[in-house]
Amino acid sequence: MSDDKRVFEGRIKVPYKHTAGAYVEKFLTEIGQNRKIMGVKCPKCKKVFVPPKMVCFECFEKMEEWVEVGNQGTLKGFTVVTHKTDVMPLKPPFAYGIIRLDGADTDIVHLIKESDPNKLKAGMRVEASFYAKPRKRILDIEYFKPI
Amino acid sequence: MVRQKGEFQIRWKTDLPYRWAIGKLAVKYFEELKKRKIMGSKCPKCGKMYMPPRGVCADCFVEMTVDDMVELSRKGTLMGFTVVNYPFVDPNTGAMRPFPYGYVICQLDGADTYLMHFCDEIDHTKFKIGQRVEAVFCDELPKDHESYRPELKGDIYDIPFIRLLKDEEV
Amino acid sequence: MPKHDVAIVGIGQTKFRSKRRDVNIPEMIYEAVKAALDDANLEIKDIDALLIGNMDHFEGINFSELWTGIDACGFYLKPVVKIATGGTTGSSLGISGYYNIASGIYDKVLVVGWEKLNEGGATTGIITAFDPVWERPSLAGALGPLALMANIYASKYGIERSMEASADVVVKNRSNAANNEFAHLQMPNITTDFVMSSQMISYPLRLHDCCPQSEGACAVIYANENEAKKITDNPAWFKGVSTAHYYTFGCDDIMYNLPTATIASKKIYKKVGIKDPIKDLDVAEIYEPTSWAELAWTEALGFCDFGKGHTLLDEGISKMGGEMPVNPSGGVLSTNPIGATALVRFAEAAIQIMGRGGKRQVPDAEVAMGMGFGGSLWTELCILGKDPKPVR
Ligand SMILES: [Zn+2]
Ligand SMILES: [Zn+2]
Repeated sequence: MSDDKRVFEGRIKVPYKHTAGAYVEKFLTEIGQNRKIMGVKCPKCKKVFVPPKMVCFECFEKMEEWVEVGNQGTLKGFTVVTHKTDVMPLKPPFAYGIIRLDGADTDIVHLIKESDPNKLKAGMRVEASFYAKPRKRILDIEYFKPI
Repeated sequence: MVRQKGEFQIRWKTDLPYRWAIGKLAVKYFEELKKRKIMGSKCPKCGKMYMPPRGVCADCFVEMTVDDMVELSRKGTLMGFTVVNYPFVDPNTGAMRPFPYGYVICQLDGADTYLMHFCDEIDHTKFKIGQRVEAVFCDELPKDHESYRPELKGDIYDIPFIRLLKDEEV
Repeated sequence: MPKHDVAIVGIGQTKFRSKRRDVNIPEMIYEAVKAALDDANLEIKDIDALLIGNMDHFEGINFSELWTGIDACGFYLKPVVKIATGGTTGSSLGISGYYNIASGIYDKVLVVGWEKLNEGGATTGIITAFDPVWERPSLAGALGPLALMANIYASKYGIERSMEASADVVVKNRSNAANNEFAHLQMPNITTDFVMSSQMISYPLRLHDCCPQSEGACAVIYANENEAKKITDNPAWFKGVSTAHYYTFGCDDIMYNLPTATIASKKIYKKVGIKDPIKDLDVAEIYEPTSWAELAWTEALGFCDFGKGHTLLDEGISKMGGEMPVNPSGGVLSTNPIGATALVRFAEAAIQIMGRGGKRQVPDAEVAMGMGFGGSLWTELCILGKDPKPVR
């Protein structure tokens, strides 16, 4: 409680449900059960979206063709997090990377398990490491590691 | 129940802390409340008495300051009532708010605006619009009452609810 | 002065339901957007700008325009504005759509309102919209204050009479909803006894005096006079819009008779040349969150004198087949996806003008009103017609 009488301290504490939709469910199920990373392909521009979504935002076409992309990809950019806050998924230092998986036309942002910025380089190859006990969450890909 | 494909839901609980600056007039209100005084603010132009007090008269777009604050009565008139009797999560706590509870709108003597607050009565047949009501201070309650506190602290819980005055009390 | 006439040329709605667990938020919105584009025979590239709205804290997502604008509406690298004004979100969207075309800024805009209320909760979300110091501790969402308003209304005009009349409102609107495939609550055989014996949830409101919580989206395409001609020979034209805001704190007024509806309706009647709304309007889609609200709102809109809301029902005026049906779609008492609700009022008014209401069509509807009512006790109105000219 603040001693400052000019301030009222309160909270907003609310439970929510988020319907993930059939596309996200299939994506997470394939990761958990088969350790496969799946995308969807636009029937018009042929781009492969990973993570998958229902509509190609450039063509505004509904996408229904599923394709498997690689568990490996290219690191397009990264940052190393050194500042600690309560909401971090890992203990700093760790890195966030922008990854283009092999066969995908969109990028995915995910954790990189490498804390030394000198060892990371844009253009280097990375590979997904899967969580041992899948929970149907995006962190079932626990992190990417440099190959 | 067999869950259909595509019914996968992610559940989480938002729990965010905030620090709201309450404004100069509210600071004064709570200082005075600790001394058992209920203060409104009076528009220097149109004379409208606001309770709770605030910094601007919306009708005139004229500023009010702590110098425009005036003490009001703790007694007033019941304008409307209901008994809330449905479940919902209270975002202040993240838990279900206990119900049923009495909920009233009343006008304190001297105020031109209205106050919405809890009421300790939960039988809707006991209310009568136009009847007299009174703001209750927490230190006046029986010691075993859930809203009892031994002294006023200068916060919103100093007046935990409004009570209906009986005919003989008027 | 408006530089252009403005018309509604395409409408898409999802079927409103209590839960849409088969789709996520962008997927649900896409259904309505696709339906509106198909309705107008347009592609997304034909649209200049997007206005989208919901109340983010109802679903616990923030910044919804970021992903719904692109993933649901295909607005990649194009102008998107998000609007959130509580219950009036849909009418604020609807009126902003009008401004965007009337001002000459854009030729065609897409306006989308949506909500997915089962993912969070309206009551909990609404509490967070109010003052944390003074109002949140005791506020019970919208129904608590609406119950207080109903209670004051009933004490003024007679509790017995008001209770019967409010049950009549529910029966009227939910019977109408049975003619509307998009409406959420389908209760074709509802009776006043059923309404009046339902559970008391906040005296004097019973369960069936209150709107449901719905999930769904509504998309509407607006065009100026040049574009509208190319799209359809049967658009719904805006004759005027008006808005009135009147609120500083939840308790500054008792508001049981919605003063903003009186102010906004007087403004729009003057603009559009309406002398007697019952005679000059053919149909109205109003925003009644509770049964009692329809009684009070119809009075405040000048459809009858104060305290006489029940006469519209007793004399059959507001029923289907009456002189001026109110809420042929089933109204808010049948469907309430909050961010879409007031836009649905505008869309349903347009459907009536276009003569495409099917079983809910009011014959020969030429002038229709749409109303939005919001958490801040605002009123926003539109009057649509077969042409953009004033009635007289
Ligand atoms: Zn494409
Ligand atoms: Zn003033």
